[in-house]
Amino acid sequence: MAGFFVQWIWVVPLLPLLGGIVAALGATRFRFNAAIPVAIGIAAAFLFSLGAWASSGPENTIVVSKWLAAGSFQVPIELRVDGLSTLMLSMVTFVSTLVVIFASGYMAGDPSYPRFFAFIGLFVFSMTGLVLSNNFLLTYAFWEGVGVCSYLLIGFWYAKNSAADAAMKAFLVNRLGDIGFAIAIFWLWTIVPNHDLSYTNVLAEGTLANLPDSARVGIPLLLFWAATAKSAQLPLYVWLPDAMEGPTPVSALIHAATMVTAGVYLIARSTALIALAPGVQLLICVVGCATALLAAAIAVTQNDLKRVMAYSTVSQLGYMFMALGAGVGGVAQLAVVAAIFHLFTHAFFKALLFLASGSVMHSMGDVIDMRRFGGLRHRLPYTCWTFAVGGLALAGIFPMAGFFSKDEILLALAAAPEAAHAMDLTWGWVYGLIYWVALLTAFMTAFYTGRAFFMTFWGPEKLPSPDDPEAPEVDAHAAHGDDASHGHHHIGEESAPIMTWPLMILAGCAVVVGFLFGSTGWLEHHLQGMYGFEGLGHAPHAFGWGTPILGMVAGLAGIGLAYLLYGEPSPAPARLAATFRPLYVASLNKFYVDEIYQWTVMKVLWVSAAVLRFLDISFVERTIVGIATAPRAIGRNALAVYQNGLIQFYAAATAASVAILLLILLFS
Amino acid sequence: MTDLLTIDYLRDYLLVGAALFALGMLGFLSRRNLIVMFLSAEMMLQGTALSLIALSRYHGNWTGQIFTIIILTVAACEAAIALALIMILYDRRASLDITLWRELREEAAPDLVPIEVEAAEAEPVEPIEGPETYPQLTPAGVEPEHPIQPWTERRR
Repeated sequence: MAGFFVQWIWVVPLLPLLGGIVAALGATRFRFNAAIPVAIGIAAAFLFSLGAWASSGPENTIVVSKWLAAGSFQVPIELRVDGLSTLMLSMVTFVSTLVVIFASGYMAGDPSYPRFFAFIGLFVFSMTGLVLSNNFLLTYAFWEGVGVCSYLLIGFWYAKNSAADAAMKAFLVNRLGDIGFAIAIFWLWTIVPNHDLSYTNVLAEGTLANLPDSARVGIPLLLFWAATAKSAQLPLYVWLPDAMEGPTPVSALIHAATMVTAGVYLIARSTALIALAPGVQLLICVVGCATALLAAAIAVTQNDLKRVMAYSTVSQLGYMFMALGAGVGGVAQLAVVAAIFHLFTHAFFKALLFLASGSVMHSMGDVIDMRRFGGLRHRLPYTCWTFAVGGLALAGIFPMAGFFSKDEILLALAAAPEAAHAMDLTWGWVYGLIYWVALLTAFMTAFYTGRAFFMTFWGPEKLPSPDDPEAPEVDAHAAHGDDASHGHHHIGEESAPIMTWPLMILAGCAVVVGFLFGSTGWLEHHLQGMYGFEGLGHAPHAFGWGTPILGMVAGLAGIGLAYLLYGEPSPAPARLAATFRPLYVASLNKFYVDEIYQWTVMKVLWVSAAVLRFLDISFVERTIVGIATAPRAIGRNALAVYQNGLIQFYAAATAASVAILLLILLFS
Repeated sequence: MTDLLTIDYLRDYLLVGAALFALGMLGFLSRRNLIVMFLSAEMMLQGTALSLIALSRYHGNWTGQIFTIIILTVAACEAAIALALIMILYDRRASLDITLWRELREEAAPDLVPIEVEAAEAEPVEPIEGPETYPQLTPAGVEPEHPIQPWTERRR
């Protein structure tokens, strides 16, 4: 039966797509049942992925059909069922199933209910296609597909200006990264044998050994450029926090658990290629580290619960890139395992945290500002405890999932200096520095997670009221695109079971996936079945108590500090903010990154757009219009005379023309 | 096996065919009566058909003959449609004069056949009590003075 799941793997992308199509075509008939076909499709895809999990192997590929063919250049739709793709596949479909179930409750009453689930189906199709594809070009196609779905879903409440702007921003910033991917593909096409862009060919040892020196550095750089946009790294992370304008289940699924990990996936998939350029690996590590630190520093002061989670996602993605960048020489295998492991666990607990935030938002009447509510632990018991589990996992507390994966990343970072030294690289000490920054980030992660938890669920009970000083002056109408959407839910009540059950399942996962997959070595064993994994450098690593203990201490210290400051209402946070006022204001304003972009990049773009517009209108358009008026003038002034409406005149003209033509033929 | 047409006979046939075609074309171009124009067009068709048959016989294959039979079929259909159209046109202006139908004329074009605006813009006439009148062929030769304006014919 092993072959069965590999042969039929193409139904995994197909089922969610079918579900989405059914939801879209039956939109008027299904109305608020539109979630059902999509949920069935994705759940079936998940079960199928589990089957494929067992039968994965590094060389298992199938050709589904032809796609592009131009002479000798062939791009088939070829799917690869190896360790990495089945892992991603199971994770994506599992989280998607739960998110769809959650969303069927969360989105209830929304006038565009079927559209939402149709888009979700389309997204899962694209994402599963992305991870299954065995070809850079096909990956690129699905890469764009998930980008489109992200755009559609961020802008789901398109009547709301902020949502439409955020969608546009996400799309444009992602296009910026796609350029890198496209150029990388063009470049690869020119240098690989047979112009064959499949992973089998590109990542083969023979191909890699014959790459020219420029490509050895250039292509990894371009691929990382692509990854920075999709996976929200410096300098292109700015779209992700704004993407929280979309519905919360979308944030949980696309902008936390799955789509944003596509960049990590791409880099992990092409590790064999990236490992050729240790300099680029260092760059990946440094960028990941800087992103993790910056995003964590922003997250500690944000008051919007979803925004804290968004910056936390950026920070954790930075962690994954840190791990990938640490994969020099003998650490390569460990680094890939660490990054993918963190991606895997992060998907569960971050989806959980987002859904729990959504549950809070749902029961607070779409208020998400943490200053406006508090002490909700009695009113929202399920949400509170599942959020706590997710928070502990994010903070990296034993025995939650995050502990194991973060530990693995730290382990890779700790091993990197030695490996770099063994390769005669001079910058090994940088990894040592990054190790300590990573620990600092872990501390900050724990702090802001604790802060969000204590501000929301601890202290005296407080429900949002319009009299809050923080209450925005917009009316409820603009806040949700449509004020009827959540009208039937009473403020301050725990969400319906259809929303709390997925939370509890995810919480269970956030507890167990760490030691189930990490400490038992299952995940590492499964990744052995990833194409090209055997070829990566690996060296024995001694297990030390230092890293787990340090990571644990950082996490506990962060949570402890958060409890001291926010466990009870106290003037301490305000006093601290006043003491470090410049730092606090900078962090609160997201270090003015958006503003800096506004004043540099955007200004340049606007000026060049104005120049181009001027050229277009005054030069190109005039020329075209001038050319277009010529036939009209000729017709009106010269030819209209002959249009006299007499049939016999026309017939005579025809006869004369034929006669002239015949004469010419005769005498030429 | 019959003898093939010799080149001399073929020339005669082709001459007759060309003459038919030319006469038809002259008739089509010079007469203003719709029915006569239609008949002239039919004559052009027959000239072509005759040439086809003669050539087919000369070359000894049947293609030209088959083609001619198809032409006859098409011409029959065309005649049915054309005559029906002519009847409708006659109903609207009570005249067979082709120059009354020049709605597609451009303003800038010179008026080669001056006619009264009233004639060209006359509304379709109402059905008249009594026995129906039918179109009559205008006499051949130089166009005579119309004793009665054609578009009022049915109002008698």
